[in-house]
Amino acid sequence: MPFDQLDLKRAIAGDERAMQRLWSQHAPHIDAVVRRLCDDSELAADISQEVWMQIFRALPSYRGDSQFGTWAHRIAVNRTLNALRKIRRIAKLEVDIEDDSAMTEQDTDRTFVAESIEQAMRKLSPGARAVFVLHDIEGYTHGEIGEELGITSGGSKSQLFKARAKLKKLLSHLVDESSTVAVKGKGHVASV
Amino acid sequence: MSHLSEEQLDHIIAQERSREQPPLNEWRTIAARAREEGLIRETQASRWWTSNRPWLQSAAAVLLMIGGIAIGRATIALPSAVQSTASNPTAAVATVGTTSTASSNQSTVSPSGNATFASVDAASAALKEAVSQYQRASEFLAVSNGSPAMRDSVAMYSARAAALDKIENATVSALQTAPHDPVINQYYLATMGARVATQQQLVQPVGLRGF
Repeated sequence: MPFDQLDLKRAIAGDERAMQRLWSQHAPHIDAVVRRLCDDSELAADISQEVWMQIFRALPSYRGDSQFGTWAHRIAVNRTLNALRKIRRIAKLEVDIEDDSAMTEQDTDRTFVAESIEQAMRKLSPGARAVFVLHDIEGYTHGEIGEELGITSGGSKSQLFKARAKLKKLLSHLVDESSTVAVKGKGHVASV
Repeated sequence: MSHLSEEQLDHIIAQERSREQPPLNEWRTIAARAREEGLIRETQASRWWTSNRPWLQSAAAVLLMIGGIAIGRATIALPSAVQSTASNPTAAVATVGTTSTASSNQSTVSPSGNATFASVDAASAALKEAVSQYQRASEFLAVSNGSPAMRDSVAMYSARAAALDKIENATVSALQTAPHDPVINQYYLATMGARVATQQQLVQPVGLRGF
């Protein structure tokens, strides 16, 4: 059931049922981006709480210019990145960017043989993961990513290239074991 | 070891993009924080309950009234003279004291368990008559009270009028939900009848009030 304007007004007025409907409808998508940007499920849960608090606080400012999901999604990304910065994970972005290729070299292929795409993403550096998630999954442009992460558009492209290269390597077992798994796998990539 | 192609990786990414996952938290966790911050109006639930309590109380009053009438009709029959004058509460008051022994020959409503109707029109007519009779009985009860302590009490009629106002509001609200429901209409008519009778009692000289 879509979240209509009446529900929105009720949620702004503090109607718990309306707020719960809002959360129920959008939490799977909102929480997904938080989960992908974080490499720790507990941290993701904590940040998700903050995200939803921020969404509810900001509800009165929602003007309806965009889809509610899009608006909330933007809050989720901003809040998550801010939270990650606060705990100095994104603060290491530049260092991670420089070290990313070295990390890849240190990783052995078989270490990641059984990794799913979600697990593989966790193996990316925070910066590379953020760029990959925002660009390839969330659909941000490199310019937008640059603004969000405080890097240049070129830096974003470079990070994405490295992230994808690493993911292809991390998930290569899917090709080795069965060329159809990656193509026909059901949602989450199966462990091998 | 061969690597994924760009297309294969894109396919996996597309699957990941569309994959839905359960929320990271339970609603009660989010709600607790929202409540702490005052984002959830603490009084919403209680306000809802409070705002609906008059309706529930009114509904309970209506049910009690109907139950009482039903029990009364099951145990003793209403005097026929009262029935004939119930539409005129003043007349009812004047005759109530002298008709208590009258036989119950006024009833036109068959026990529902034995009622059979040849058509919808017949059933509707019976229902209409039942509603009318019910209304008259309610009006009579509105001007009659068995409690000696409350006899001729302005406070009693005022309280009853106020209570009937609440019931009227509730039934009007109910009618907006189910405008053609015969039961709700019956409640409404009975309430209005009793309310009019009560109002009339309130404006009567003390000596002419019920009892």
